[in-house]
Amino acid sequence: MNMVRGFATTLKHVIEGPVTIEYPEQERPVRERFKGRHALKRYENGLEKCIGCSLCAAACPADAIWVEAAENTDEERYSPGERYAKTYEINMLRCIFCGYCEDACPTEAIVLEHEYRLSFNDRYDAIYTKDMLIDPVPPGVQGTPQVTEPGKFTRSIPDMENPK
Amino acid sequence: MADIVTITIDGQDFQVPAGTNLVDAAKMLGTDIPVFCYHPKMEPVGMCRMCLVELGSISVNRETGEPDLDENGEPVVRWFPKLQTACTQKTYEGMVIRTTTEKVVAGRDDILEFILTSHPLDCPVCDKGGECPLQNLTMAYGPGQSRFVFTDKLNLDKHVPLGELIYLDRERCIQCARCVRFCDELVGDDVLAFHERGRRLQIVTISDPPFDTKFSGNTTDICPVGALTTTDFRFGARPWELDEVPTICPYCPVGCNLSASTRLDRDTGGKKIIKRIMPRQNEEVNEIWICDKGRFGHHHSRSTERILHPMIRKGDELVTVDWATAYAEVAARLKKYGDRTGFVAGPALSNEDLWELRKLTRLVGEQRQRGLWPATMSGIEAIAQAGAGVGTRVQDMGPGGAILVIASDFEEEAPIWWLQVKQAADRGVKVVVANARGTKLDKYAAATMPYAYGDAVAVMNGLAARARSRKKIARSLVESRVDGMDALIDSLKGVKVPHPEAADLLLDADDLLIFAGGEGLTLAQHGELMQAAANLLILTAHVGRPNNGLVAVWPGANVQGAMDMGFSAETTAALLDDPPPMWFIAEADPAGEDVRAAEVIANAECVVVTSLFMTETAQQADIILPGQSFAERDGTFTNGMRRVQRFYTAQGPIGDSLPDWKIFAHIGRQMGGDQPRISTGLVMREITEKVFRYADMGYPNLARVEKQFPDVGGDDLYYGGTAYTNTGGLGVQWKTNAEHEQHRLTVRPVNVDSFAADGLQLIPVRVLYDRGMWFRVSDVMDQRVPAPYVELNEADAAGLGIADGEQIAVVLGERTVEVRARVNGKTPAGYALLPMRLSDAPTLTVPAAGVVQKIEE
Repeated sequence: MNMVRGFATTLKHVIEGPVTIEYPEQERPVRERFKGRHALKRYENGLEKCIGCSLCAAACPADAIWVEAAENTDEERYSPGERYAKTYEINMLRCIFCGYCEDACPTEAIVLEHEYRLSFNDRYDAIYTKDMLIDPVPPGVQGTPQVTEPGKFTRSIPDMENPK
Repeated sequence: MADIVTITIDGQDFQVPAGTNLVDAAKMLGTDIPVFCYHPKMEPVGMCRMCLVELGSISVNRETGEPDLDENGEPVVRWFPKLQTACTQKTYEGMVIRTTTEKVVAGRDDILEFILTSHPLDCPVCDKGGECPLQNLTMAYGPGQSRFVFTDKLNLDKHVPLGELIYLDRERCIQCARCVRFCDELVGDDVLAFHERGRRLQIVTISDPPFDTKFSGNTTDICPVGALTTTDFRFGARPWELDEVPTICPYCPVGCNLSASTRLDRDTGGKKIIKRIMPRQNEEVNEIWICDKGRFGHHHSRSTERILHPMIRKGDELVTVDWATAYAEVAARLKKYGDRTGFVAGPALSNEDLWELRKLTRLVGEQRQRGLWPATMSGIEAIAQAGAGVGTRVQDMGPGGAILVIASDFEEEAPIWWLQVKQAADRGVKVVVANARGTKLDKYAAATMPYAYGDAVAVMNGLAARARSRKKIARSLVESRVDGMDALIDSLKGVKVPHPEAADLLLDADDLLIFAGGEGLTLAQHGELMQAAANLLILTAHVGRPNNGLVAVWPGANVQGAMDMGFSAETTAALLDDPPPMWFIAEADPAGEDVRAAEVIANAECVVVTSLFMTETAQQADIILPGQSFAERDGTFTNGMRRVQRFYTAQGPIGDSLPDWKIFAHIGRQMGGDQPRISTGLVMREITEKVFRYADMGYPNLARVEKQFPDVGGDDLYYGGTAYTNTGGLGVQWKTNAEHEQHRLTVRPVNVDSFAADGLQLIPVRVLYDRGMWFRVSDVMDQRVPAPYVELNEADAAGLGIADGEQIAVVLGERTVEVRARVNGKTPAGYALLPMRLSDAPTLTVPAAGVVQKIEE
């Protein structure tokens, strides 16, 4: 009797069809909160959200992030405020996709998105530079660096909400 | 010694000296009282109100003098009704404070909330973020939440240049006035001030040029927020990303302890480089201060102009070769010329370099002509006998002490010593300045002893004569262990005393420290000046104990070490008088600094140079060997107070460059010498065995540290500032003969001849911001380096028809240098002051007669 029940289970799975899919021809959509490759975000006016504060690098448990900062001027502005990331690199071989960088970011500049196809033929290819990480410029606005009006972009960090 | 009193902190009794600042006392006893405006090196002002404590006194019965007791037998404490600022309190008997009660906690919480009302909270982009007292104290004592509406915050300028070195962020400033007080109280430069009142209160610079002080960088260290940042480091890295390497400043004889903050850098190919230089605490040397030259003058260590490979001249071209070829070639030349080689060591070679160079000179021949550049100062024998006692700290000197500064523009030549002597003057130390012209120290001096250039020796000798006539001669010392007394005493009879009142200030003091420079002195005269100073100090027994003795304001970071290793300026002078066909010049630029040396080197048959840059000397060289800067190698320097201090490797080598000691050792190997040592530590071990004064200078000894007060860095950022705690070693001073009981001391009469003043005399003077071979490539300081100039007296200038600011010609032998004339009434008539190393063309290092004229159209 037990044997019959066993075969029944087998038969049930035979009829159900495969649970695997034919990757890469077919792709399964990821969940909304899936943590894949990072992207550096821009504001709607094209300026970079990243201010080069290096807090992501400090939070990173795998020491995967390398940031070097430089100073913005109104003639050559990358981000609001005084500071921007001159160099921004993530070593995807080191990254453990924990998302701490996202949590640490004071401007919500770095976001772990849904891209997970990361494979490399060379260790150096695993280092994603700022050009590879940054989002494309929104249509209709200028990319960075921009020439901006003096005194307009003085705050690095968006204003906080007033206490209730 | 101050009276010891009992104070009670949080219920525990402590014994402390009366009159100690309460914050300091608590800190020493292990209780942190948070502060923003108070700094242990400055007078308290009680501005920030962060140090609020509950303060009370034990009630004492006026009749019996016994403490009143309550019903439990405990002493009755009379509390102040309100919280008091601890920083404005001095300890007294029966003082009781509480630092952790609810009232105190609430008080601090409120103060922090007030301070944060207009603080921008842009910590992520702030250079101070991570080492910020405001951040730390807010975390420790502050409110968890703000009740203030963000839109009410004041938005102020975030990018205000205070001069070209320091930026001010007005929003971040919490008006603690540490920077203003540092400049006013400690430095005495009236450059910063408060402007406006109330909420609009802000820091402004009131000098022209702005923030015109040589110590401006220190304000960024003591700023308790990120309001003051340096141009050099601005956004360079976050503090927690930096690796700290202890190092020593390579510029002046003070030997300030530095910390090189290093980080990997993408722009330089992923190499580790110095991002900033910070002071490293050494209360025996520089306390927690450094000058701007030391702080911002590190760019030469990674300049793109550095020489990268060994080069040999083939015809008119310099051909890059490998080290083996270079060593063989140098060895072949040294064998060819043998004793006809003049060796010249630069002013900032490490002791290890100098030792290996000394060994090389032995292999070359019997003459061992070990010269030193610049050849301006001598008198190592005087230092060996009567040098400042071990443990000398100008900071410890009080009203009983006296300091003589002679023949030195002290602030330009040794800024941190200047700062310490200036503060000593404020404390009541009798500072006497002797110079042929006015210097900045005069303002703080108890007396000045002006003299005509060339008469410095006579002034010093006059002091000894005064000591003799006033019977100030210390019989017990003199009779037991001094040779040559009678001749000296005879020579002092009838000697004129130029400034008897000033002389008496010095002679009546308990402690006497002499700083002797070399301005306006020929080399021979400087030797005599040093001997005259030693005579005075030995006669009056101001030797062999701390805060007494002689300090030479040498023209370089390790001139003392070079002299200890057997190199001398006299040899250089002799070599220039009778030039050998071959010159071996290590990390010096004689041809770029002195017309006479330029002439001699141009006519030499063979010149071998180790250098970082293509200096004038290197351009004439047949073989150029790339050396390393202080940042890329380790070693030791001996400062002007004979303190041997270690510095460590901060960044990787540039190109194929090697440290000089290795280069010399490898050449020595080719000449039949020993196998090169594998590390500087082993070279130093050899020095400890061979040089008796360096017997204690093994690396483990030099690396020894002990806890120092005030606490800085780490958890004590709020207290002492961001200077780094010393991890590299406090260094060891070698003892003078006066401190070795068995050594005899020698005095001798000195030659007081002045130089014959015939026509206009050109006096080379040292300026801090010069165009020396290393400092000229320090990017951020460019604006502080003046255009080449000569200072003339009004009368002389009028006679020559020269106007102030005019471009004129200084004729130096066959060469002519174009400089700007600065005409003033301060320069003594008959003399023209020509700063050293300021023009690109060689000028003078020793005084000489010269011609200053208008440029012919």
